[in-house]
Amino acid sequence: MALKVDQRLQAGLPAVTQTVKASFQPLPYLLLLPSLAIIFIIEFYPFINGVSFSFHKGTLLGTGAFVGLGNYLRLFNSPSFYHSLWFSFIFAFFNVLVSYVLGLALALFLNLDFPGRGFCRVALLVPWIVPAVVSIVSWKWLIADRGGLVNILLGSVGVGPIYFLSDSGWAMVAVIVIKIWRSFPFMMLSLLAALQVIDKTLYEAGRIDGANRWQMFWNVTLPHIKNISIIQAILMIIWSINDFETPYLLTQGGPSNATENLILLSYRYTFGRNDVGLGSAVAILTLILLMVLSTVMMRQQARIA
Amino acid sequence: MMKLNRRWLLLILGLAIVLIVDFPIITVILNSFRTTETIVSSHSILPTEPTLANYLFINTRTHFWTFLLNSMIVAFASSALAIVLSALAGFAMSRYRARILGGYNQALLIVQMFPLILAIIPLFIFFRNLNMVNNFTPVILVYTVTQLPFATWMLRSYFDSIPRELDEAATVDGCSPLRAFVQIILPLTAPGFVAVAIFSFLFSYNEFFISSVFLRDEDRMTMPVGIQSFMQQYSTDWGSLMASATLGMIPTLILFFFIQKYMVTGATAGAVKG
Repeated sequence: MALKVDQRLQAGLPAVTQTVKASFQPLPYLLLLPSLAIIFIIEFYPFINGVSFSFHKGTLLGTGAFVGLGNYLRLFNSPSFYHSLWFSFIFAFFNVLVSYVLGLALALFLNLDFPGRGFCRVALLVPWIVPAVVSIVSWKWLIADRGGLVNILLGSVGVGPIYFLSDSGWAMVAVIVIKIWRSFPFMMLSLLAALQVIDKTLYEAGRIDGANRWQMFWNVTLPHIKNISIIQAILMIIWSINDFETPYLLTQGGPSNATENLILLSYRYTFGRNDVGLGSAVAILTLILLMVLSTVMMRQQARIA
Repeated sequence: MMKLNRRWLLLILGLAIVLIVDFPIITVILNSFRTTETIVSSHSILPTEPTLANYLFINTRTHFWTFLLNSMIVAFASSALAIVLSALAGFAMSRYRARILGGYNQALLIVQMFPLILAIIPLFIFFRNLNMVNNFTPVILVYTVTQLPFATWMLRSYFDSIPRELDEAATVDGCSPLRAFVQIILPLTAPGFVAVAIFSFLFSYNEFFISSVFLRDEDRMTMPVGIQSFMQQYSTDWGSLMASATLGMIPTLILFFFIQKYMVTGATAGAVKG
């Protein structure tokens, strides 16, 4: 049952079927062995342990009695859990949405022809590349209650001060804004890469056919960046939900746990309250959430593409 | 003429955007040359009376250089390990067809989305029982694993760009596949290797979470953990904090400068599908 050549190419297979069936080759297995071993030790084995911890009472010093779904039931009755679930969602949602819009706008801008655009491209990647702790030191000062630049400036026009880090609402906004600032360059970079490989003659053809800029963006540009957009958006959602550094370094989850996402909640239960069972249960639920989200989105992508 | 004007206007717009976006980073550097008193009271961000006092404080009163050295050790070891492992796996994925390779690609996808906290809890207990808290080994191993997905995908795409005929010709001439890899593919993909190595160095050098769990003694802390401990100790001494942050990002900015042209491959490596 040979597929037609163009079908095979679409499926990413070589156009010509290799008829010579090679005998079993041990080399690929050997080459993967070291990587598989370290993944097993550092992620798979701990994962199995984590599943087991989540069904037991336990502290960092030792595992206690089996409690079945007890830890999970405690979570489902805990407002902290629902709050961090909600915060993880809005954190990821706004981060992806705004990073995408900003990233696309800047990618379109950098795709124009002007002197110094190479410099601009490099300079715009800086927020993404510097260590989180460095940018948080800076942002913490910028939005500090007293002596911070924003409040000094607001004060000089008779407004404020705004307590960015001690008011729950503002703290959530601050954490999300800073996360967007740290992630949009990644989106910008991958969209720029996709824009640069679009065939220029398509735009010329569009111009000859009398299409305006908006129609060209809609009918030429967007279809070409759709796939990369979806994949990078999925990645960014995963990374946002897994983010520990931004909220922890900025607010440590505060004030009164307002900026606590699922990862921080798991961290606080485990290392703060020494409740390994509960902390592991949060981590397992986070993994399940991520797997469901990415499966759904991959499916969606397969349908669109 | 009009065309020329438009291009220069775009440049000015670009520089304005850069200034806004990089403002927090620029202020770190400028503030590191100002005393805390001026930082918290002045409307301007320019250092009118530049001082090195913050840097002297960092140099004499803190363990900053130890933090930096620790970061270098951890980052160097983990990127070296990651590059060796992912070169082997990437080579297998580029040159062979076996069922396990597809499975391995799936495994990398899962590694990439894995919430590290889930591994950290058991690993912390495990390594504490081995008396290995404040030891670099667990940190290096975890960093290595987190870098495997992108490093493998990136190296694989570099290997894919080398025609198979080259190493096949060598194997036909009696060269073993591994020797063909080392003598033919490796030299051709050397720039790619450097880029991946620097990427993974940067990742480890910048990373805070895993280090903060395992490295708790002051003489073992990495740079991000050290600066975070300064944030708690000297929370309002902005001058010294800014100086340590400036020093901390210098290695990042230097390395970034070298690999910025490879950034595109790095950013899209995750999008490579098996």
